[in-house]
Amino acid sequence: MSVFYEKFERHSGGAGLKGHATHYCPGCGHGLVHKYLAEAIEELGIQDRTVAISPVGCSVFLYYYFDVGNSQAAHGRAPAVALGHKYANPDAIVISYQGDGDLASIGLAEIVSAAQLGTPITVIFVNNAIYGMTGGQMAPTTLIGQKSTTSPEGRTAMMGQPMKMAELIAGLDGPVYVERVALFDAKQRMRAKKAVLKAVKLQAENRGLAFVEVLAECPTHLGMTPEETERWVKEKMLPVFPLGVKKDAVPEPWFHLEKPHFDAESLLAAIGASAESVPRFAAGFPTHLGGTDIALKLAGAGGDGAQTAAMLLTRAAIHEGYDATHIPSYGPESRGGTSYADVHVSADEVLSPASPHPRILVAFNAPSLAKFAPDVPPGGTILYDSSVVKDPPPFPAGVGAFGVPFTEIAVDLGKAMVKNIVALGALQAATKLFPEETFRTAFRLALKDKCAMIPLNEEAFSWGMRAVPPPAS
Amino acid sequence: MAKRLGPDVPDSFAAYRATRRAGTLTLEVFGMPTALRERPKPFLLPEFCKGCGRCIDTCAKHCIEPGDEIDPRTGLIPVTLNLEACNGCGLCFDACPEPYGLRPQPESEFELQDPEKLFGARAAAVRPRPVPIPPQAVPLPPVAPLVLKGNYASAIGALLAGCRHVFGYPITPSTEGAELMAKLLPKLDGVFLQAVSEVATVNMMYGCGGAGLPCMTFTSSPGFSLMLEGISYMVGAEVPGVFVNVMRGGPGLGNIGPEQADVKLACRGLGHGNTHAIVLAPSTPQEMLDLTRLAFELSFRYRNPVVIAADGYLGQMTGKVVLPDTMVQPGLPDWAVFGDVAHRGNLINSIFLDEKDLEAHNVHLNEKYRRMEAEQRADLFACGDASTLVVAFGTPARMAKGAVEELRREGMRVGLFRPLTLWPFPIAALKSFLPNVKRILVVEASNGQLEDELRLALSKAGVAPPPIESVRHFGGVLPQLAEIATAVRAHSEVAA
Repeated sequence: MSVFYEKFERHSGGAGLKGHATHYCPGCGHGLVHKYLAEAIEELGIQDRTVAISPVGCSVFLYYYFDVGNSQAAHGRAPAVALGHKYANPDAIVISYQGDGDLASIGLAEIVSAAQLGTPITVIFVNNAIYGMTGGQMAPTTLIGQKSTTSPEGRTAMMGQPMKMAELIAGLDGPVYVERVALFDAKQRMRAKKAVLKAVKLQAENRGLAFVEVLAECPTHLGMTPEETERWVKEKMLPVFPLGVKKDAVPEPWFHLEKPHFDAESLLAAIGASAESVPRFAAGFPTHLGGTDIALKLAGAGGDGAQTAAMLLTRAAIHEGYDATHIPSYGPESRGGTSYADVHVSADEVLSPASPHPRILVAFNAPSLAKFAPDVPPGGTILYDSSVVKDPPPFPAGVGAFGVPFTEIAVDLGKAMVKNIVALGALQAATKLFPEETFRTAFRLALKDKCAMIPLNEEAFSWGMRAVPPPAS
Repeated sequence: MAKRLGPDVPDSFAAYRATRRAGTLTLEVFGMPTALRERPKPFLLPEFCKGCGRCIDTCAKHCIEPGDEIDPRTGLIPVTLNLEACNGCGLCFDACPEPYGLRPQPESEFELQDPEKLFGARAAAVRPRPVPIPPQAVPLPPVAPLVLKGNYASAIGALLAGCRHVFGYPITPSTEGAELMAKLLPKLDGVFLQAVSEVATVNMMYGCGGAGLPCMTFTSSPGFSLMLEGISYMVGAEVPGVFVNVMRGGPGLGNIGPEQADVKLACRGLGHGNTHAIVLAPSTPQEMLDLTRLAFELSFRYRNPVVIAADGYLGQMTGKVVLPDTMVQPGLPDWAVFGDVAHRGNLINSIFLDEKDLEAHNVHLNEKYRRMEAEQRADLFACGDASTLVVAFGTPARMAKGAVEELRREGMRVGLFRPLTLWPFPIAALKSFLPNVKRILVVEASNGQLEDELRLALSKAGVAPPPIESVRHFGGVLPQLAEIATAVRAHSEVAA
């Protein structure tokens, strides 16, 4: 019995009789399940590795008794807490112990998802058809006709039928073993012991998640003697909650989880960081565009590539040693909605990353052009897709506007999706924001894992540049 | 039972039974009595019997009867044993719900065997004391600056802080954090687990943090609301964990635009009970990385959750990020419930049944919060001679900084006070130059939640504030540079 503390120090400081007695009412089934669990842990020699999750309910004080690692969970959340422990240390043997209110009511989402996940933990579910700790309220497993303080005239079908958790869990693909057992006579107790042992052993062997539902007695809230309660479980509960093995798969061992590693090289490789700095081409900040902070806006529909172009602009600026920011703004649709990108390029620090008055506007469609063109200040530049904008609005005074057939050029090149690169080429030619090579380096780097795409993008960029007429001067 | 089964013994139940049989044989080798006679008879200390009588029916020999005398020590009526007919079948042991109820007789020959000789030393006798294993700094070679979204920067900050366990539930505009973790963690033999809900997420963190490992989640306002119950448990049980809340528009489903309206939750409403957590407020992708790293350090230093209050803009914003020169290899604290021999005696728990105990625990937590108040951090921009002070955090602070620069060029004495910790509010830094300040303009994307923190901090510090005005936006709209500048100019005569 060494899995139980020699003295229950946590039970009122272990004072007097509490040092060796549980807090359970006389005849309660929890004590029996505790004993079988303790014996299983003892027999499997896993006491040092065991973490027991105490639930909320009568068994909240599980940790008073079990000389194992203990963690006390919020109401219904024991399986989630158990998973946290199991993933933190896959060598740990994690026992999620819950009553019926905890598991079958407030914690339904947690137990069902944990069971379907199938991560090897052991779930012990004690079903006594009543809320014990709060004082005899209706549980999800309360029988039809059974009286409780919240079903004073007896549970009716209007209050829902009793939850058959073992059957529900066995219907999932995740668990490897599901059995319902009882405690009302010596034979059932022997089966319960074996089931608990097997459920823990399946985890010790890293086989999978096991779920044992134990029909237990609550003499106090049923208002019966322990003996009568045993009979009540046998006669009343069994027809609703039939005993037996509900699922017993012979699984391959579950996945083997490695211990995390912490070497700098693999971390840097994973995040794509490199000691190589990108070559710079710019002689200085493009102050000819008016100041040391340049606001840009790229606007279109989802799928136009506005965000990708904005990202390339941002990267290009940062490669040149400037600060830059990019903020996307989407409609709720994944494809086809509005898609705007605000970009700032700054000589030192971008202060305000939004672009309500963009110095450069790239519009991929007519609504975007109509919406944002009036915001472009004098001296600014507007580039728009003349393949789709046939009838451009009047532009603000002092703004240079260029209609470039982004889409037509891209389609001619064989891929409509490179229209954003055409647009970047046009932007370069119209504004000289950065040297040509800065842009080309940015998209070459972005495509380093898709090298086959680079020539097409080079072409698209070149055609975009050529599509903007040289300055009149 | 000579052999203990472990995970490396992939035997079936048949093999297990064989081991049991071998165990019986071992006993005989040690000169034990025969199988029948070795079975001990029951023994009962009446004070440990609750008199439930579940053992009575199980005895075929009718050796156990209901008692008729109240035990004065318990007030209960224990059963009585008459063992003349007992054949040591042992069924009564399995029928007794009490660990120290019906037990094998101690004077039996079975018990007289030295258990250590048969089974080895009892686990508890040889258990080592847990020793805290401190985290280690691992040097990072220099690399070129990265171009990262705020959410990605935060995720990389977590990886650099040694976090290899991320639990989450997808919610815009925080999802990129989870997505990057799902992609990167398998390469680092870490774990990303998508939970069934934010409720499950926070409880997975309770388990993983309780096991002593750094763990985190990315979420946004509605998800953060759901996590508050679990955060209260984490605070109560002193479990570390980092919550990156990329705040969005509310209340209710609201929208996915940026807002700052969870300040009250993070600073004043972390679930039920007397809770507090350090709340960090980044305003650039670089700070998303730096402050996430810091969050893990603080979380373990104080054994308490830490909240990052970002906003939707910041989560989505891409910018330049420079990596630090070290990363962290986490240790293992002595209090962890890790599931190994050293930590077996530990307990992660927030229930204290006795009122005096719970008050003492609260006093302990309050003392910790008091120490956490030393973690005040702020960024001061042009504050030294400022007569007008703009107070803002997160993305609105960037707009405010732009406004301050513009106004400085116009010759106005304006400064930006940017709290990096919303709780504790950096009142010490503010107090130092407040005497020069004639008015304060609080710029925020909420209905005054930052202003409330400011006013509370001023009030607690006994400082009478100058007039406080505000620029507020809601629902995904952020205060813009121009209107901040206009609001400062509006009463410039006050500041003159």
